Amino acid sequence: MIKMNLEPPNPTNSLAARRRFLQRLGLLSVAVAAPALLPALSGATITPVKGASNKHRWGLLIDTSKCVSGCDACVRGCHEEHGINGTGNDHTDAQWIRKIDLQDDLTAKQSSLPMMCQHCDSAPCVDVCPTGASFKRADGVVLVNKHTCIGCRYCVMACPYKARSFIHEPVSNQKSWAPRGQGTVESCTLCVHRIDAEGEQQPACAVACTDEAHSAILFGDLSDPQSDIAKAMNKRHAQEVRSDLELNTGVRYLNL
Amino acid sequence: MRPVLPSRVSHYLLLLAGLTLGCLSIAGEPGPVIPKGKGDQCAAETDYMRRNHMDLIVHQRDDTVIRGIRDEPFSLVECVDCHVQRDAENKHIRVDEEGQFCAGCHSFVAAKIDCFSCHAAVPDTNQEESVDGNHWIPNKRLMALSSRFSAPLKRALGHDQNEPRTAKPD
Repeated sequence: MIKMNLEPPNPTNSLAARRRFLQRLGLLSVAVAAPALLPALSGATITPVKGASNKHRWGLLIDTSKCVSGCDACVRGCHEEHGINGTGNDHTDAQWIRKIDLQDDLTAKQSSLPMMCQHCDSAPCVDVCPTGASFKRADGVVLVNKHTCIGCRYCVMACPYKARSFIHEPVSNQKSWAPRGQGTVESCTLCVHRIDAEGEQQPACAVACTDEAHSAILFGDLSDPQSDIAKAMNKRHAQEVRSDLELNTGVRYLNL
Repeated sequence: MRPVLPSRVSHYLLLLAGLTLGCLSIAGEPGPVIPKGKGDQCAAETDYMRRNHMDLIVHQRDDTVIRGIRDEPFSLVECVDCHVQRDAENKHIRVDEEGQFCAGCHSFVAAKIDCFSCHAAVPDTNQEESVDGNHWIPNKRLMALSSRFSAPLKRALGHDQNEPRTAKPD
């Protein structure tokens, strides 16, 4: 049988116990808060935020009048940089950039341009991804986190630019800065490994284009008014492909 | 008829015998043999790395992919750079091959890792490195951080500074 304490609680004892409890609580909270507050009080410097920052928005400006039909230097440069080797099956090979030739039906004006991930501000691929693997970095670069990509290919369907590729076959000889594997979706990363390394920021496609003496691809910070790309975009009308979709793309075209 | 020993005592004896046999069999089992990495020590103390490397790598992975922070020491690229071995023809052997640094332990404990279905399992050949593989240029940032990590840990655990790095089963 359970023995019950039927005596009424002693008011003096309960008050003392309460006071003791509150004192201990106060001491405990000081003990917990002190280590967190000490560095701030001693004036320790707070390390600046590293990595991708929303102070930048990286983008490309592509001058189609400088882009030469039949030249695929940017595609080759990109594939070399990211270790993309053909599997012998053109229909399923990864395609981070593809060259497109256009002709105006009325004026018969021809133009050629590279089409890749447009790094949209409001990206449809990010909207539809069921796992959050498709995401936009703080600096506007749209990426696939292959650790969480389940290969459902919703993003491939959603992308109006057909910029994404699904990897059907096992991949070998990857570059250490560009992990790639079967069963995931991938697309242009705007060479984030170069952006993050600082110093050598130009993406591989822009470098390849310059090496070919075309210089049709200009890379830079769209949110810095002093950058070459922002100045060039202010001077002339830089168009978005499918501007009707209002995606606010990070890749813009001149002379489209 | 009365049993020779009370049943409870005989149960204890059986349990003791079983435990002794179990211990003997564990002691007799050879542990995984792991090749030694470059340099004096890892990015943190060996025991700490053995228990926590997976958490460190996952943390670094999210930092790199999502937040673009790439210069931290616990990256998979750094693991491969230090722990990769060379064959008789002086070529790199994949770290996920049987008996190599990653596979050596992981196949012993039957834990499948799929890191290297996407990530490079050998260092980039155009990186600065010597042909014989013995000359190692230490990463200064990494070394500073590793000593910050390992010194207090070693003091706390009372570890010998010259602890051999060949793996033994814990």
